[in-house]
This record gives sequence, C-alpha cells and structure tokens, in this order.
Amino acid sequence: MIKTIQLLLLITFLSITSIASDTKPTLTVYTYDSFTASWSAGPKIKKAFEKLYHCNVKFVGVSSAIGALRKIQLEGKKTKADILLGLDTSIAQTANKTGLFLKHSLNTSKLDIPVVYTDKNFVPYDYSYFAFVYDSDKLKNPPLSFEALAAMPEDFKIVIQDPRSSTPGFGLLLWIKEVYKDKAGEYWKRLAPHILTITKGWSESYGLFLRGEADMVLSYTTSPAYHIIEEQKMNYKSADFKEGHYGQVEVAAILKSSKQKVLAKKFLAFMHSETFANIIPTANWAYPVVKTKQGLPKEFGLLTVPSQMFLLDGKIVEANRKTYINEWLNAISR
Amino acid sequence: MLTQWSRFRSSLFPGALVSILLLSFASLLFFILFISQDDARVTQFDPRVWSLLKFTLYQAFLSTLLSVLVGIILAWSLAHQSHFKGRSLLVALFSSSLVLPTLIVVFGLIGIYGRNGWINQLSLYLFDYSFGSYLYGLVGILVAHVYLNASFASRSLLHIFESIPKEKYKLAKSLNFTTFQRFLYVEWPALRPTLLSIASTIFLLCFTSFAIVLVLGGSPAYNTLEVAIYEAVKLDFDIAMALKLALIQLAVTTLLVVFSSNFRTNLTNLKTSSTHIPWSEAKHIKQIQMAIISLFALFFISPLVVIIIDGIGADFGKVVSETLFIKSFFTSIIIATVSSILTVIFAVLLSDTKRNFTLKNRLEDNKFSKLLNIIVSFLGNLYLAIPSLIMGLGFFLLSQRYEAPLVVWSTIALLTANILMSLPFALSVLSPAMQKTAQRYDKLIFSLNLSKLQRWVYCEYPYLKSSLGYVFALSFCFSLGDLGIIALFGSDDFSTLPWYLYQLMGSYRTSDAAGVALILLAITLSVFILLPRLFRGTDAKHN
Repeated sequence: MIKTIQLLLLITFLSITSIASDTKPTLTVYTYDSFTASWSAGPKIKKAFEKLYHCNVKFVGVSSAIGALRKIQLEGKKTKADILLGLDTSIAQTANKTGLFLKHSLNTSKLDIPVVYTDKNFVPYDYSYFAFVYDSDKLKNPPLSFEALAAMPEDFKIVIQDPRSSTPGFGLLLWIKEVYKDKAGEYWKRLAPHILTITKGWSESYGLFLRGEADMVLSYTTSPAYHIIEEQKMNYKSADFKEGHYGQVEVAAILKSSKQKVLAKKFLAFMHSETFANIIPTANWAYPVVKTKQGLPKEFGLLTVPSQMFLLDGKIVEANRKTYINEWLNAISR
Repeated sequence: MLTQWSRFRSSLFPGALVSILLLSFASLLFFILFISQDDARVTQFDPRVWSLLKFTLYQAFLSTLLSVLVGIILAWSLAHQSHFKGRSLLVALFSSSLVLPTLIVVFGLIGIYGRNGWINQLSLYLFDYSFGSYLYGLVGILVAHVYLNASFASRSLLHIFESIPKEKYKLAKSLNFTTFQRFLYVEWPALRPTLLSIASTIFLLCFTSFAIVLVLGGSPAYNTLEVAIYEAVKLDFDIAMALKLALIQLAVTTLLVVFSSNFRTNLTNLKTSSTHIPWSEAKHIKQIQMAIISLFALFFISPLVVIIIDGIGADFGKVVSETLFIKSFFTSIIIATVSSILTVIFAVLLSDTKRNFTLKNRLEDNKFSKLLNIIVSFLGNLYLAIPSLIMGLGFFLLSQRYEAPLVVWSTIALLTANILMSLPFALSVLSPAMQKTAQRYDKLIFSLNLSKLQRWVYCEYPYLKSSLGYVFALSFCFSLGDLGIIALFGSDDFSTLPWYLYQLMGSYRTSDAAGVALILLAITLSVFILLPRLFRGTDAKHN
C-alpha cells in the first residue's frame, strides 16, 4: 500500500517537473481559471502563439481574475507572472494603483469596441455586455427595461451575483448606478423582492437558472451563443434592456518585474491579431476587439446587440467602489 | 507508582509532540499574517461586521438546536428499531452527510425543495399550487444545516443509545416505565454528557459555513462573518482587517472548541456485546419510530437521487477522457489517501497521550492532568475555528517567504489543511475508543509486561480496527470534497476534483459538471460505506 502511494507520488512529481525542462523562453500568464480550461480559449491561444514565436506559454489559472491580481500582489517582486490577463476595466484601476504594471506602447484607438477605452498599462482583448438571460420557452414576455423588471409580479425571480465577490455582480451595480444615478438605492429596494438569491460567483447563479429556479439570471448578451453553438438550443435569450447595457471590456497588462518583456509585448500585440480574434468568440464567448476577414460565427447574428454600451471611467469606479457597495448593502439588506 | 509511570511514559511524548506541532502551526499562521499586514491601508472597521456576527451566531444557534433535536429523535427511533431491512446501510449513509461536498448537497437540496424542485412540481401537478421560493433565506440555511448535521448527530447519539447497559433497560421495564419515563431516566442521562460536545461541534460547523449561506441565504442580511473575511482578503486586499476578523471569530469560537473537545469521556458507557435493546415497543410507538425513520430517510436520500439523475445523463466517455479530469482525479485520490493515513496516525498519537490524563491507574490524580487534557483536546479541535480562507492565505504567505516549487507548497498546504480539518472528528471517534481499551486492559497488559508493539498488535488494533476504518474513510472523504485551500493554490498543474467541477460549472459545462458531481458522490459514498466494513470484516470474533 505505502509503496504504491510512494510510486504514485513519484510519478506525479516527475510528470510535473518534466514540463519545465525546456530551453525555449517561457511566457507566464496569470488569468482566471475558466480561461485556461482545455475547452476554453487558453490552450488554443497558447498553441498559436507558441508556433509563431517559438516559445512556451504557461497559463496559470486562479479562481477569479481579481484572485489572480491578489496572487501577484502577494507574490510581489518575486512573481513569476509576465502578464496578467482577464481583469475588466472596472478593476484595472485598482491594479494600476499597485504600481506593478508596465506601460504598453500599443495604439488602442483603432480597436473595434463600442466605447473608447484608453489606459496606459492595460490593453483590451475582448468585450461583452452584462445582460439578463432567460428561457424563452418558459418566459414569453420578458421585461425589457429596469422599470419593467421591477414591475413584474411578486413571484418573478432573478438570481444575481454578489458585487463583492463577482465581476458581473459588480457590473450590475455600476449598470444600475449609471441608469438611476442618485436613485440607484431606491431602485435596488424595489428590485429586492424579485431577487431569489445572491451568489458568490457566476457559476452558482447560472447553475440555479439552468435548473429552473429563477426566471432570469445576470450573465452576458453572449451567453446564448454557447447554447446555440454547443448545444443547438435556441431557447436561451438575453433581454435587450432599452436603457442600454453596461459593458465588460477584458484587459491584460505586462508586469514590471517580467524577465520576458519583449515576448510579453509581442503577446499583447498578438491579442489584436486576426488569429486571436477568431479564437475568442466560440472559446471565451465574447466579442473580439478587431474585425476579421472570417467575421463572427453566424450564430452571433442571433444575439441581441444593445443600443448603447455604458462604461464608467475606471478612476471614478475605484474612488467610489466602497460607497457604491455600501449603498447597495443598505438598500438590499432587509 | 514509579514502575507504573515507566509503563506509559513512552505514550506521552509522541502526542505531546503532535500537540506542540499543532500549536506552533497555529501561531505561525497568525504570525505570518501579522507581519504581512500593510500599515498603509487600513480600512475602517465596518459596523456591519457586528450585525454579521449577530446573524452568524443566531443562525448557528438555530441550526444547532434543530440538528440536535432531529438527531436525538432519529437516533432514538433507530436505537429501538434495530431489525428492519437495510438498517445498517441507512445508518452508514446518514453518517456520510458530514463529508459530502457541500456544493453538491446544496444543488441536490434545491432539486427537491427549490422553487422548481420536486415538491413544488408535484404540488403543482396535484393541486395546481406552488409553494414558491420558500427555500431561500433563513429556511434554506436551516434546511441545509439540518441535512448535513442532524444525520451526523444521530450517528454519534445512536452509538450512545446502544452502549446503555442492557440491565438498565431491564430494570426500567420491571419498574413499568412508560416510554417517556424510560427516555427521561434511562436514556437522557446517558446522552447528556456527549450532547454538549456534539452540539458545539455542529455549532462550529454552522458558524463557519460559507457555501451554503452564500447560495441559499438570498440576501446580504443573511451573510456570515466568513463573508466579511472573504471581502477583506479578496476585494479590499486588507490583510490587517482579515486578521482582525479572524481573531474575532477565533475568540467567539474558542469557548466552543473547548466544549467540543470531548474531554469528558463518559466511562460508564461501555458498549455491550449485543446492540439489541431488550424492550419490544408498543405498536403505536413502533409506528411512530418507523415513520420518523422513513421520513428522515426520504429527506436525506431524495437530494442524492437528484444528483444521480442529473449526473447519469452526462457523457461519461468524454468526461473521464479529459486530461484535466484524469490529473485532478489522481491528485485528489493521492492527497486524500496520504492525508487520511496521516490523520489516523496523528489521532492515534493524540488519543494515546490524552488517555494518560483521564485514567485512574495512570495520571488522573495528577493536579495538572485535567488542564493538560483540555489543552491537548483544544489543540486537536482548534482548526474548526480557523477560517479556511485565513489558513489558505497563511499558507500562501508562507510559500512566498520560503521558496519551493509551487507543486510542493500546494501539496503541503492541501495535506496540512485536510489533516487539520478532519482531526477533530477523528479524535472524537478514536479518543473514547482508546480510552475504553486502556481502561479495560491496562492492568492486564501491565502485568503481562507487554511491549508497546505487542500491546498494539494483540490488544489495541483488534478493538480499534473498525474505528480506524471509519476515521480513515471520514478523513479521506473530507479531503476529497474540500474546496477551501485549493482556491488559492489550484492551477493547471495542480487541481483536484471539486476544483475541476467548479471550473466546469464556470464555463457553461453543466452536464459535464453534473457527471463529475456524480462521480465525486459515488466515490465518497462507496469509500464511506465500504471501507469501514472492510476493516470490520474479521474482528467480530474478537468481541
């Protein structure tokens, strides 16, 4: 028994260490875990980039993008990360304040994003819109605005995520803040009876929704694309709110402490290549930031595209984060 | 006296060493957090923390009360109904609740009691009426906590019921006691001493419960202190604040840890050879007892059925051929095996030391014994009170200070965390059992002058075998289902099954996730039900 355990341990150790013994330069990218999963964008991007620049790409997936940032902060100057990928614009400012990130020298003004986003360190690589997703087989007349949502009957339930632990959750907070300004707290009070539960992360919420526990779930306008393309299910749709939708632009930056700065810069530029842009839609279920000859998969034509994208300035978000969250907590805690 | 001292002296030091290790590790954790604080950013101490603390105490109190009540009623029914088919399987199943991965349980419960669960669907079909979303909120938290803990309580209490000397029952019967009198005068006095320790363990589990509260709680008003810690660590990156909160939690729970330490091992309760209680119940009492058992079995098994039905549709060929699945599977199994072996060793050493302080023919009369016993028990149970997030963070900071490959650190962190987590439960099983063997056989062994090894081979092992099997299975499953520490250490090179499951859920792969959940459930249940049986196999003749 003990012998077999020893043997098994030895095998795992060897298999793990054998990966590292290679002479090519290695670019280490910290990101959130679902980006690195074998079915996701990470492995495809790794393959394409390694082929192009004769190097190794190593993705390190942490439970969330903010978790990846905290990991880098904890590791400090000793961090092995060359690139942090996956923060969204509302948290990028928090990352900038750590002073750990390097200026990029890319021109991002020509990128294909509905709003202009410029940051000295962080570069966009994909975007989507936060939206409420519903099952059109069960819900024939979805609410198409925040007002209509709050006016739904008492037993109409949505499930959302906690802004303190989840990116979409925080996105909704900013979305409602942008639509209702000073009256945001009052709106949350009206919305509260419709909230079935508030989960820690997106996964639990979406799981509850797919089980039919809630009528709508806070997710992305691009979520239905997964069901259409991977499962051939047409019944999942996102409600197109007439006020406009808050956007999520995902960004990446290079660490000042990186020993592979040249390669890392090539990676940031690669994020704006056609190869990268063709991988994103069906692997990360989001819109790429450059137009490609191949274009988006045809199923993306079935998605709702919001009339307006909101995106608050990162500095404003960072300065008011605590205030917004407290306002939310006061409004929603019964 | 002196010669006797030499007989058990050698049993003092290994356990003492383990205790010192435990203590120094806890101090190290807090020390590393303390020196890693960033003085520049200290967030204001939020007054909300106090209301969180209040609610945490409130829900934990209610959960404990309900769990213990249900546990007593269930154990009482099971103790008096010892002859129905499938009883031993049912008892084994109940005791597995503690180790089932929480997130899986939550989704199983939702499948039954949720807004779209079986109960609502059935009621809609029959009466065209839905109870709606009653599960979310305090109700959901309580239901889930009772689900997880009542069955744990009933298992431990059933053991107590069965070890009440049969003579007491015979006497009670000859005195013509009613069922109520019998409970009051025969059973309750036996239960009472253990009740406090079981209740405090359950209270601690509910106090630190995180996943359940976050999915079923519904509103931030129903959050626990762990959420505040999570917020401080993840969102504000305020280690000083996290440290403060952890210390508050530790202060509140320390008292309970002392209670849960199980230091009042009740010696009058020796399990007798026959578990059959010589008292056949009146018909209506029997019906009530069977109804209670059936009801709880239904309550307990139906969510598991949901998980099975959900998972069975998954494409298992695809699921098990994923490289990451295979990696996670082996990592999980190896970590669980190693950590459960170590847990068993630590628990044996600690119990071996502990019994010196409570036995008459050893050191019971020494004035320090009582104190030392409490200290050793306290250290064994300490980690019930330390939030896993804080432990994870501590490990992470340590790994930064002392460089080693991440895999090595991840392994160490996971192993340590798993051992510390299952140690309290391991101790609560092994400690009374070892106390018992020593009490029974000390004089004989001392007079035969058996060596330590001989003592173990001929006396202790045959008696402890089934307890050891149970502890092994318990800690194996604990470690298999844990999602606490891995959240900071997981990566593509190092992932476990629950971590992989969470990753699948996080990328729309719900049917694969359901498949992995089923696999995890199947492993947990089979290890938990079969392993103790394997160990028990041959020891029947020894009794």
